Formats: sequence, C-alpha cells, structure tokens
Amino acid sequence: MPENERIPAGPIVEAIKTAFRSQRTKPPTSKEPLGWVLSVPDTHQRSVITELEGDSELRLLTCSTEDEANAIAAGLHIGGQEVALIIQHAGLYASVNTLRGVGLDGRVPLFMLVGLLSREPDLAPRNSPRSMVRFAEPLMETFQVPYALLETREDLALIPEYYALSREQSGPTVVFVGRETT
Amino acid sequence: MYPEDVLRAINEVRGNAIVVPTMTAVPAWRTIAPDATSVDCVGFMGGASSLGLGLALAQPGRRVIVLDGDGSLLMQLGSLATVAGAAPPNFTHMLFSNGVYQTSGSQEIPGSGAVNFAGMAEAAGYTFATRIENLEELHIRLPELLSSQGPILAELAVEEAQLTPMTAPGGDPLHVQVSNLRAALTKK
Repeated sequence: MPENERIPAGPIVEAIKTAFRSQRTKPPTSKEPLGWVLSVPDTHQRSVITELEGDSELRLLTCSTEDEANAIAAGLHIGGQEVALIIQHAGLYASVNTLRGVGLDGRVPLFMLVGLLSREPDLAPRNSPRSMVRFAEPLMETFQVPYALLETREDLALIPEYYALSREQSGPTVVFVGRETT
Repeated sequence: MYPEDVLRAINEVRGNAIVVPTMTAVPAWRTIAPDATSVDCVGFMGGASSLGLGLALAQPGRRVIVLDGDGSLLMQLGSLATVAGAAPPNFTHMLFSNGVYQTSGSQEIPGSGAVNFAGMAEAAGYTFATRIENLEELHIRLPELLSSQGPILAELAVEEAQLTPMTAPGGDPLHVQVSNLRAALTKK
C-alpha cells in the first residue's frame, strides 16, 4: 500500500488526547494519566499501539479479549477516567454481547477505534468481498451505534467528535480505521 | 459455606469498598448491603473481574471487591492475566466456587471439583491466592484479604445460593446503577 494511503500514528494519538482533554473538567494530577487506552492488539493499527507504548500522558493497557476491554472501560468511566478502545473488526464481532450489555443496557460511553484489516482502499467497506469488512457497518446499524470511517488525515477530527458523541449519548460510538496506520 | 453467610461476613468489614457482584451473589447482596457502593455484572456473564479492574484502576484510593462465580470466571479466564498484568493493589477477587451453573439448572461447570482456581490466579501473577473451606476461617482471614496488597483471589467453597437473578429479579437497572455509582465516585 502506498505511504500516502496510510494514516500516521502520531496524529491519531494526538487526536485521542484532544478528545480526552475536551471532556476533562480539570487537568490530571501529576500522578494520574490524561486517560486510558485499552487495546487488544490490532495489526491494522499496530503503529498507533507502538506510539502509545512510549507516550507519557496516556496509559496503555493490553487486554486478553475485547469483552474485557469493554468491561474495563466501563469501570474506568464509572470511576471518572477518560478511556478509549483500540480493537479490530474481528474483536468487535467477538464482543457484541458485552457491547450490548455494557454500552447499550448500561448506557456506558464506549469509544472504539476499530481497524478494518484487509479492507480494500478502493471499495466502500460494505462492498468488500471480505465478510470481516463487509458486515462491520451493518452490525453497528443493527445495534444503532453511531459510526464513522477514518480514511485520511483530514478525517482525524472524527476522533474527538465521536468521543464527545459517546459521552453526550451515553452509549457506544465507533470510528472505523479504514486504512492501515503508519 | 452458604454464600449468604459469606456475603454477610464481607459486608461487616467492607468499609467504603466498591463492590461488583455477579450472578447468584446479586440478589442476596442487594438485600444484605442495600447501601453499598455497588454495580452488578448481569447480562455480560464473565465480566465482573474486568469491571472491577477498571474501577480499581480509576479509584486507587479505595478497595474494590469482586464477588465472582466459578462458571462466570471460566467464561473470561484470560481476565486473570489481565488483572495480574495491571496489578491493582486495591483489588480483591472473591470467587464463589460451587461447581455448577446454578442459574440454568445446576449443571456442572467444566472440570467441576478439579479446577484449582486459586492455583490459576497465583500462576497468572496475582499477589496472593488462597482457598477457604469454612466460615470460621473466612472470618479470621477477611480483614487481611481486604487490606493486603492485591490483586488477591480467595476461592470460597460454597453451597448453592438460595436465590438467583432468575428467581429473584429486581434492583435498579444497570444504567441507573452506573449513573449512581459514577456520581458517588466523582462528586467533588
């Protein structure tokens, strides 16, 4: 894939920080992070995860499953922390009951960056021949979860926008990462 | 041990701990500790330890007690490693081990009677894990379990509960519990 079709990791991390700062009523103390990122490793967003590993403001917690990530995010939110998830479409499918139970029934704001691994850049996701890619958006429509597609640097404002939307609506929102990050 | 007696014992010494009950612990805890700062894990079986982990990381100044079940934990067994990796010092995992899925008719869990949950937790990296067989021992050890550096797991050999979420539904909906607990924990 040409470099100009990839999304750089640094600006994605900065967009996450912008999202967190916009929701905080006061800056973090010296002992607490700006917010948490819960990750179940996603090949599509591996450069973002690498960038987060070295970040001093955000705390990265790697989880065993996406079910865990959803429930941990709920606990962090209830306890007053900012939190985002980085997962892959396969993990989204694997964790739909927790997404339903925590995000919809519990009305917990869950913001997810979901990598569309193997998505063809010249096709809309729902037209992909790959079922992993094709069913992602329709699944969110079934669950009535707002979503957007991140394809270029110009789309990075979607991250703070959909983060804020999850808090306003007290429920899940998803930004699908449609290009591999670099 | 009867789980209701265990819950009464925990309630007597919990202090200001945040409590996350799941499955058969839910109805009895609702009655025994109606004023507790709690949030139920119902509807996403297996999620109690993860929900508790998030709370423990967010509120490092308070103890978090997870009232888990053996069948529930098996559904997300990897959470033992995630909890151990995050290493929250304020996390106590009370595992009600009755060997069955009581809510659905008391079918035996996989490996019922043979699985060593305390051993699994210790191998995963919990600071301390143990198995407690009777109420007298529980009363003696509870203060330490709720104050020592975590994550700690105590596997509790219990009988079946008198009530389940199926036979005794009720309590606030999850979104109300979430809202109330967040308000309590984040008030200025």
